[in-house]
Amino acid sequence: MTPILDVHNIHKRFAKLEVLHGLSLQAHKGDVISLIGSSGSGKSTFLRCINLLEMPEVGDITLRGEAIKLKTHKDGSRSASDAKQVQQLRTQVSMVFQQFNLWSHLSILDNVTEAPRRVQGLSKAEAKDIGLEYLNKVGIADKADTYPAFLSGGQQQRVAIARALAMRPAAILFDEPTSALDPERVGEVLGVMRGLAAEGMTMIVVTHEMAFAREVSNKAIFLHAGLIEEEGAPEKLFGSPTSARLQQFLANTTY
Amino acid sequence: MDALLNNDIIQDIILLAKPALFNIYFALAAIPLGFPFAIILALGKNSKNSLLSHLSAAYVYAFRGSPLFIQFFMFYSIALVLNKPLWKPLGIDEFMLHPLFLGPLVLVLNTSAYAAEIFYGALRAIPKGEVEAARAMGMNKWHEFRTVTWPNMIRLAWPAYTNEVVFLFHATALVYFTLPVINDQKDLMNKAGELFEQDYNVFLHFSVAALYFLAISMVIFWVFNRIYQRLTQHLRQDAKKMAFKPNYLR
Repeated sequence: MTPILDVHNIHKRFAKLEVLHGLSLQAHKGDVISLIGSSGSGKSTFLRCINLLEMPEVGDITLRGEAIKLKTHKDGSRSASDAKQVQQLRTQVSMVFQQFNLWSHLSILDNVTEAPRRVQGLSKAEAKDIGLEYLNKVGIADKADTYPAFLSGGQQQRVAIARALAMRPAAILFDEPTSALDPERVGEVLGVMRGLAAEGMTMIVVTHEMAFAREVSNKAIFLHAGLIEEEGAPEKLFGSPTSARLQQFLANTTY
Repeated sequence: MDALLNNDIIQDIILLAKPALFNIYFALAAIPLGFPFAIILALGKNSKNSLLSHLSAAYVYAFRGSPLFIQFFMFYSIALVLNKPLWKPLGIDEFMLHPLFLGPLVLVLNTSAYAAEIFYGALRAIPKGEVEAARAMGMNKWHEFRTVTWPNMIRLAWPAYTNEVVFLFHATALVYFTLPVINDQKDLMNKAGELFEQDYNVFLHFSVAALYFLAISMVIFWVFNRIYQRLTQHLRQDAKKMAFKPNYLR
């Protein structure tokens, strides 16, 4: 079966520093893939290469069998051959950020309906229905008319998840979705994510929540220094890690 | 005595009413043109295209770096020099040399440079994460501009831009210091000066002219404040009470 996302041999450098040395990943429908590793290992950069928020110098991204066309410039940098195709990729693979990144001047409902209306051309009424449906799903429909500044971090992140869902994407990328939250707010966001996983949403999650990675994901990838050090089923990765680096990482991580 | 004083003031207020219209005209002609021009300049200066960004930056530097007073003289003399070879043959000499055209022209060129710098600063302060979120949701450049860049830029720039508009209005007093007065088309400063030369009343005439500037500035502050309230309603707890929310200002 064609994977939803096939990410192959990603290399990424910032100025002279190469931070990713050839990373690959396949996500099939319903996969929940956790990317773990210490800070600086390249997890977030890798995730951001998947929807091309960062442009990798080497590597291919294939969405449902369709390769994203990239062109290489004289200086070795690359850009999209077809901006529309990349926009298409991003509507299919939406994203949730560590810092929520809600549009502060828009109401909660408008935050969720903005992209469907502008990008997918939905009418106001259609977008509102969908928006309220997903706000309901993340349990925050009662705040539809307020603004992000008046929500807690956990509530904002749930809105951000609703915003990502409202695109009705094939997969969602989560970039450390709970790292900016108060400890007592982490649970409400993880709860929503568990629900999505149970419904079969395809998710790629950069996380420091080891319990979540272990229980919810069906695949875990441990990154170290821009390389995949170990990957596989979470039970195996967390239960009997083979690489010394992962053993050390898990020993230093409490969960 | 009091009645007499009142009379003098009221007389001055009446005499200066028409001249005030000239200052208002200069400002009203310059602001609506200067605003979009300033935004184009700011976007140009912020552009990744280095030619565009350098050209915009050079323009802003030139007009911010030289006195408005000199810009008036300069453009007037250039317009005069071009009169014979250009305006006259084209039959537009009266128009091109008219203060009611040249005045707003120089004001637009000048204010757009200052306002461009204000908008440029605002562009640089737009939350990066919000821009990134727009891109990550599949928005193109235009969507990104409408959803994130424009509303944030206007809101961040507004208090400083209000300042610039009031400065511009006050700068209209310079127009007739440099450009010729045609017929009885005098502005506040001009008329106040004329009245002063008639009776050398050092207190009265310029004070009443200042009063006009104060009053009109108050209107500008009030209008711009109202707009700012609306631009920042998402930051206030009582925001819900202000239900009126036109889309073009989001």
